Amino acid sequence: MSDAAERLAENPFFVLGLAPDSAPREIEREAQKLLGMLELGLADAMTYATPLGPRPRTAERVRAAAAVLRDPRRRLVAELWAAAGASPIAAAGARGDAGPPGDGGG
Amino acid sequence: MADRPLYAGFDLGTSNSAAAIFDGERTQVIRNAQGGAVTPSVVRIDKQGRVTVGQRARRLLDQDPENTATEFKRLMGTGKELPFPAAGLTRKPEDLSAEILRALRSDVADQTGVTVERAVISVPALFELPQSAATSEAARLAGFERVELLQEPIASALAAGWRADDDGGGTWLVYDLGGGTFDASLLETRDGLLRVVAHDGDNFLGGRDLDWAITEHLAARLAGGGGLLLERRNPAHVAALRVLRAAAEDAKIELSRSAQAQVTLAQPLVVEGTELEVDLTLTRAEVEALTAPLVERSLDVCLRLLTAGGLAPGRLARVVMVGGPTLMPALRARVSARLEATLAEGLDPMTLVAQGAALYAATAGLDGRAAPSTRGTGKKVWLQYPPVSADLTPHVVGRFVGADPPSRVTLARADGGWQSPPAAIGADGGFVTMVNLVPRTASTFAIGAVDAAGAVIEVDPASFTIVQGLTIADPPLSRTIGVALASDQVQVYFERGAPLPSRRTFVHTTVETVAKGTAESVLRIPIVQGELEHAHLCRLVGTLELRGDRVDRTVPLGSKVELTIELDRAGCLTARAFVAAIDQVFEHVAHLLVPEAAPEALDAALADQRRHLLQMRTEAFRHGLTQVIEKLGTLEAQLAQAERDIDAAHGGDADAAQKARRTLLEIDAALADADLARKWPELVDEARWAGVVAVSTVGAYGTDAERKLLDEVMAALDRAMTAKDPAELGRQLRLMRRLTNAAYFRDPDAWERQFEIVSSDLGSSTDLPRAKQLVDDGRAAIAAGDNARLRRIVNALWELMPVDAQARRKSFDSGVR
Ligand SMILES: Nc1ncnc2c1ncn2[C@@H]1O[C@H](COP(=O)(O)OP(=O)(O)OP(=O)(O)O)[C@@H](O)[C@H]1O
Ligand SMILES: [Mg+2]
Repeated sequence: MSDAAERLAENPFFVLGLAPDSAPREIEREAQKLLGMLELGLADAMTYATPLGPRPRTAERVRAAAAVLRDPRRRLVAELWAAAGASPIAAAGARGDAGPPGDGGG
Repeated sequence: MADRPLYAGFDLGTSNSAAAIFDGERTQVIRNAQGGAVTPSVVRIDKQGRVTVGQRARRLLDQDPENTATEFKRLMGTGKELPFPAAGLTRKPEDLSAEILRALRSDVADQTGVTVERAVISVPALFELPQSAATSEAARLAGFERVELLQEPIASALAAGWRADDDGGGTWLVYDLGGGTFDASLLETRDGLLRVVAHDGDNFLGGRDLDWAITEHLAARLAGGGGLLLERRNPAHVAALRVLRAAAEDAKIELSRSAQAQVTLAQPLVVEGTELEVDLTLTRAEVEALTAPLVERSLDVCLRLLTAGGLAPGRLARVVMVGGPTLMPALRARVSARLEATLAEGLDPMTLVAQGAALYAATAGLDGRAAPSTRGTGKKVWLQYPPVSADLTPHVVGRFVGADPPSRVTLARADGGWQSPPAAIGADGGFVTMVNLVPRTASTFAIGAVDAAGAVIEVDPASFTIVQGLTIADPPLSRTIGVALASDQVQVYFERGAPLPSRRTFVHTTVETVAKGTAESVLRIPIVQGELEHAHLCRLVGTLELRGDRVDRTVPLGSKVELTIELDRAGCLTARAFVAAIDQVFEHVAHLLVPEAAPEALDAALADQRRHLLQMRTEAFRHGLTQVIEKLGTLEAQLAQAERDIDAAHGGDADAAQKARRTLLEIDAALADADLARKWPELVDEARWAGVVAVSTVGAYGTDAERKLLDEVMAALDRAMTAKDPAELGRQLRLMRRLTNAAYFRDPDAWERQFEIVSSDLGSSTDLPRAKQLVDDGRAAIAAGDNARLRRIVNALWELMPVDAQARRKSFDSGVR
């Protein structure tokens, strides 16, 4: 499974289409804009670019991304991975995502 | 006036309720027909079934207590029916709350001419899901089309922050002591964004506890002359005590203004046929002394909160005081002294929450006015914008519906001070543009559209309004929510701190057949909240049921259930289960109730915990665990309090029963904690061992990234061990196990090994022929080197393993895994 790759693709900065040095205010503004565009189903907001190719963008992802970037500690981790464009797992792990149940054994 | 938005907020309090409106610029408190800014939360139903609420009902509380209800907010979500014998009726707490809301709503209509359809209602921060659900239900019964719930401390902070002249930077504390609940919240404002840092409180500390302290003192003074001692446990004394308590409350309120007060009874104090002579006065100093322990208790909570927020006393930017008891001068002085902070001045503690709720209605885009019924004639455009924005230049997103959208739009601020450059409209009819707001007020923008030839096109709506001011960051989830599995484990759906609203879906498997047509055949999917790994240690908040009398067809054991749980912005929960095998959806979350608290059951629980406590103390002494001994000491005091409340419950006080139930639950949790502390060495061993497994597995099969993450988790695990924090240890262990699993299954032989493990225990499987078949298939898959198929087979075999009946019973009888 390319779990690791998927997690890189979920980096909050990629989801929001912002540079890692964006100010908090820019992040809020962009998230609000993207949520509005998604709500109205505008094609421009439906996908976002990652080093691994485009990914579908959802309102949940945008909200989760903004929440990560509001927390200074988690933001730092996201910044590192986004900048390195490399290994993603730390960012995803810090967000505490749960995997599907049962899949990995008893 | 007609063109201003009307945002309405309601504070549904235990003793008093209030309403306020916000027009985009100013908040205004709504006065009721009697001219009061607050409406007592009292409902009376007379023998013709006529309903009276508020001040008029409150006056009847003494004369006709049987048919007059108050403090029903504390019973919200319990499902308890309150009797009104004269009319021969019973009413649920949410029915009575609906009566209050209806009255407040009509006060708003009297004053503004608008019957509001949408509004915000505040709820205590510590309200649990069933209590919030009951509040939403009350709003629906009162005829609101849509409401959002807002936590009271956020409402207070929003109202206080909105008024603040400075940018309100720094950390605030909201101290809200109401009739029945105490809330303390730490909030932070930065860049015009209000954020809750932490909150704490006591669901059972309020003005009425002050009243009881005074009442017991008065009863003792009455008995001092050789007279009868009135006791709450005695049903024959209940009526007299109620009269005395009302007098005590009046005196307490008077003493906020004067130094001395006469205890005046609304009616004579009669006990078993004889009248008690009452001639008592109270002084401010007396009441201060009586209430001091309760005030200190509230301050202990505040200091605990400051510690949790990493803040020393004296570092608070300001303290906002909310609730009736905060009008007591001694209390204010004490709070200011112990927290070493200044209190915010000029805010009305009785209506601040309602004002904040009204402000939030703007943020939530809940204009109270009904949507215009006649559609405009122009070209329809859908708009998305923040109704309230801290940002001076937010985005507005729009999309034209239907064929032939205009080719450009321009937004012009109504004060003429600003106009957007023309924005092009995309192929899908959409446009995005930034607007410029006037600080701290409402800005209205007209939408101008033209076609390719430059001709003006009329659009509908023609304008919209954005208010610039303080906003709230999406409130994060305060408790982890998941599903209890038959194994007594928890499938986490939402981790604490997750952004709201949110929705997640997982697939479960049933461990029992639901037989069509059999009412007793019920499969439960328990939804729990809590941070601990074992389901039975978490709190049950609702159950989704697949019932034999509701299913279209029999649902066989091993069926897939696709469960989706959704949380709205206020943390209100809805769930739906889709069972593909019978193509049916189940949505009704049952038992969304705070459990009943029968006095007998409480007695039993009390005895049980006393025994547990004794046992732990003996053991703690034997091992010289001083920390544990200390903790058990405070638990004993709590147990004594619970006993007093259970006494009152035997006297018929349903609220005291709920309070006792909560105290017992808290003691239970504390005992479990103490237990954990005892088992701590064992936990640490477990973590160390898991660490060894993780290091070797991730070392052998993990990716670079997994190795890096493991380093982080190990560091966090170390921190949790140093801090002796079992919940955090559990969380990090979960993460580590996930990492280990991911790495483990990267090994090509992993599935083969798992296959050998499950197939070695075939005898206990629930369906032997099928299991045998699967094992044969598995062998074939191994021979063919088909790992994907092998993986499916192993999973299918796992599902045939029986669940442990005892674990399942503990796990709220969960019917899924
Ligand atoms: N001037 C006063 N001095 C002291 N106590 C007062 C005063 N006015 C009201 N109270 C007390 O305040 C309490 C009610 O407070 P409040 O109206 O803020 O509570 P509430 O909002 O109904 O309760 P909750 O927030 O817990 O739901 C009552 O116990 C009442 O006796
Ligand atoms: Mg209140």
